[in-house]
Amino acid sequence: MRTVFLASLRTHARRYVAAAIAVVVSVAFLVVIGVLSAGVRRGLMETFGAPFRNADHIVDGDPVETDLDTTAAVAMVERLGDRASGLGRVSVAVQSGGWRGETTIGPVAASEALRWQELVAGRFPERPGEAVMHLWDAQEHEVTIGSVLHVGDGPTAVDLRVVGHVLAPSPVAQASVYVTWPQYLHWRNLPTFHVSRVAVRGDAGPVPAGAALYVPENYVRNGVALLNNRTDTLALMLLLFAGVAISVSVLVIANTLSILLAQRLRDFALLRCVGATRQQVVHAVRAEAAAVGALASVAGVLVGGSLGYGLISTVNTLVPRVPIRTPGLPYAVLLAGFVVGLAVTLVASWLPIRRVLRVSPLAALRPDVGDEPTTSRGRIRFVLALCILVAGLVLLVVSVVLHSMPVMLTGGAGVFGGILLLGPVIVPRLVRLVGAPLTGAGRLAITNAVRNPRRTATTTSSLLLGVTVTSAMLTGLATSRTAVDERRHRQHPLDATITSTAGSLPPGLLDQVRRTVGVGHAIAVEGTAARVSGLDDVVPVLVAPAAAEVARDGGAFARVAPGVIALDRGAFRRNPNIQPGASVTVHAGERTMTLRVVVGRGWGRVGMVSAETLAALTTTPTLQAIWIRASPDADAITLVDAIDDLADPVGARVDDELQARATEEQQMRLLTWSVVALLGISVVIALIGIANTLGLSVLERTREHALLRALGLTRGQLRRMLALEAMLLSIVATALGTVMGVAFAWVGYMAVLRPALEDARMQIPWLSLAAVVVVATLAGLIASVLPSRRAANVAPAAGLSFD
Amino acid sequence: MTTQSHPRTDTTIAASARNLTKTYGRGDAQVQALRGVDLDLRRGSFTAIMGPSGSGKSTFMHCLAGLDQASSGSVVVGGTDLGTLSDDALTIFRRMHIGFVFQSFNLLPMLTVLQNILLPLELAGERIDGATQERARVVAESLGVGHRLSHRPAELSGGQQQRVAIARALITTPDLLFADEPTGNLDSVTSADVLDHLQRAVREFGQTVVMVTHDHDAAAYADRIVTLRDGRVV
Repeated sequence: MRTVFLASLRTHARRYVAAAIAVVVSVAFLVVIGVLSAGVRRGLMETFGAPFRNADHIVDGDPVETDLDTTAAVAMVERLGDRASGLGRVSVAVQSGGWRGETTIGPVAASEALRWQELVAGRFPERPGEAVMHLWDAQEHEVTIGSVLHVGDGPTAVDLRVVGHVLAPSPVAQASVYVTWPQYLHWRNLPTFHVSRVAVRGDAGPVPAGAALYVPENYVRNGVALLNNRTDTLALMLLLFAGVAISVSVLVIANTLSILLAQRLRDFALLRCVGATRQQVVHAVRAEAAAVGALASVAGVLVGGSLGYGLISTVNTLVPRVPIRTPGLPYAVLLAGFVVGLAVTLVASWLPIRRVLRVSPLAALRPDVGDEPTTSRGRIRFVLALCILVAGLVLLVVSVVLHSMPVMLTGGAGVFGGILLLGPVIVPRLVRLVGAPLTGAGRLAITNAVRNPRRTATTTSSLLLGVTVTSAMLTGLATSRTAVDERRHRQHPLDATITSTAGSLPPGLLDQVRRTVGVGHAIAVEGTAARVSGLDDVVPVLVAPAAAEVARDGGAFARVAPGVIALDRGAFRRNPNIQPGASVTVHAGERTMTLRVVVGRGWGRVGMVSAETLAALTTTPTLQAIWIRASPDADAITLVDAIDDLADPVGARVDDELQARATEEQQMRLLTWSVVALLGISVVIALIGIANTLGLSVLERTREHALLRALGLTRGQLRRMLALEAMLLSIVATALGTVMGVAFAWVGYMAVLRPALEDARMQIPWLSLAAVVVVATLAGLIASVLPSRRAANVAPAAGLSFD
Repeated sequence: MTTQSHPRTDTTIAASARNLTKTYGRGDAQVQALRGVDLDLRRGSFTAIMGPSGSGKSTFMHCLAGLDQASSGSVVVGGTDLGTLSDDALTIFRRMHIGFVFQSFNLLPMLTVLQNILLPLELAGERIDGATQERARVVAESLGVGHRLSHRPAELSGGQQQRVAIARALITTPDLLFADEPTGNLDSVTSADVLDHLQRAVREFGQTVVMVTHDHDAAAYADRIVTLRDGRVV
């Protein structure tokens, strides 16, 4: 049988190409993930430990997962002086040259031994007012040594002179700008200010409550393990995508093999005729599958390995701040990739090879008979599939009632499995339905597409799987995004505000704002400047009856009862005088009132009162603020710049949520596209499968195509016929997959998302889904290009008179 | 060579070949399948082309039917010089003017008998209305397969399959009907039946039929027998 094995491997090598590609892609996917996470782990090990290198003790929360109290940490650093290094950072607004934005500031240790930043130019800061900047940020924002950073706004703003550039490897304590400890404490009242760890040399003395001392070596090891957990979680998610790709590969390989083996059934029967035992035939075929699987897996490991290492060095060059380093060869990952590839091939070949087992020697002598699904086996299969489908549906209903993720996943798997098993019944009907308007060669395309229901079903099922998961993810992301948006709208109802800091705003400003490109709507908010007891600054006290016109949450925050002042707790954070229910005295001009405090957040450093209250405070309310709602297509940065240019000359303050929202939206888009790209790999494998099935079918149908050509089918019609066949299959798979994906997403929303995020509303991303359908259909067309070109080369007379 | 006259036979020429040559391969492997064949086929005639294996009879038929391009010489069918046509034009010409019955694999397995008969019209993009279906039914009836219209080819006997193929060839009322060893796979009784139907197509519908065969009994049904040997008419 060895001669037979080798000869058939040689003869059929080309037909195995597609199956091999499916294996290569999945194995490479796995190996890339493995290499990348090994690289991240290595990078974390190298960088995480930097701040703790020369320390004797680390002070952190007890247990280590809890945060160290910042006040206690600050007190400890103050007490220990230059034997301690506080680790933390604060986010502040910064402006320097043309750069305006947000940056992070952290402290440098007083003693050189505990300084973990690496100086690359200039010197370390020695006194308040000096700073070093991270080299990459300095390059990005063109901040040279000697430049001045204008940090913060209002009366607390300070200027920092940049005296050096540093590199700072640690991801846990990294900031963009570093200053001396006393300078760092300047921002201690800002909400983002924190000191989360303290590295200590020598005796640490008493440890504050809720904190503990850790030995640096153990601390680093545990910390890396914790970070690794996050890396591992990420890797696990990526593995899920790889799992989808592998499942698709199994379907593609199984289909390819069953077609290949069906075409060779006569060969096998002939082998049986000349005396090969069942076992011998099956061994030969299994060896063939194993050889293909092994070769493809090796190729996949090589491709994945080089891709992984290539990616790491690309990332290191392009985005050096990502803590990823070239790892040593992760043998376990490479071996796992190989084993998975081989296993996938063998598992996928199991059923097709079992069919070879059943071939009788007589089959060699009989004419071909296609297997029809209306056998008793087919009927049993049908009933079984129906049972699985129904059980899955029941579980899905149960999961909605119980809000149970595991039940939902089991039910989803059941429904999907049932649909796959019912494929030979469902898919051909759908193909007929979709193809109903076609005539001429199109009608032939339909009959060709459905002539072998099981093959049709398996071919589409791989694409079905990929598209279902993709559209479920897209819908799920869009839906959870509504929750994010909703919360953001409630927490930050105003897109942008211009608030007076000196008496009032000039009356013409509103018109100027309204004329600005990107402003959807703007309202004037009147009130009076007031002193509120317990607050340091003058605070505008406002009435905004038209708030609903611009606020994203409907303006509920502006509807305040008489005798009450609503203050934004976020804007006055850490001011202990703002407590719900407390009484404050408000002085406006000569008048004074005592008002009860209610708190909320999202409208900034102003007090909201009722019209009656304002009337009692002043008889001449003035224009105190302009609230702006951006138009949906506004560019955040351009708009904020334009508003700044209007507000600066009149000394008004601009607050905006637009840039933060734009950043968040960009991250969301990035996430969505990453998911789509990762799932795209499965879709690509599925399309290779469609191309392959079509290619093998074309080989089978050479005589038919010759006959059709003789009867008057033009080359173009033949090509169109095959293109239509591929497109019908991909349209049906995509449509069914999209519907199922959205349905699964709906179940996920009902069962898991809605209980967890009350703001979530079911959101179907029509545009993205339409894009998926269009792309998959076009890809079906592309999949048909090679097979149909080969088919069109059949001469009309070929194969008609050879026997 | 026997020539029978028939009252309804038109004397105009349905197809003609002039100095037809066909060469396959090049160099040492070169094979001259046709070495200058001249032949005229009268409208409404039944011609049998005979000859031993390798005599070039199939090649001749393929060239005459526009399935293959000749190396030199000309083929005119129904007044059209096939040598001047592009592949697409030739395909469309075949669709409307030439009918085929092959030795085997005449029918598409996934289509019903009726769909197979209507296939040439379907390929031409013609609207299949009730009248067309009725015509197909009449043709099928006349060939004795009218009761099997909704069956698939696999459910028919070999003779029935060939009669369906004849029905399909007749549906476009072609200038020429080619039959390539139409009885090659059939027993003698069934063969006689199929040949009878071909002969009736000539007598009753005035069809022009060219049949390639190496079976003398089959050739006896033709009006005229042309014998090829080594790529020449003898």
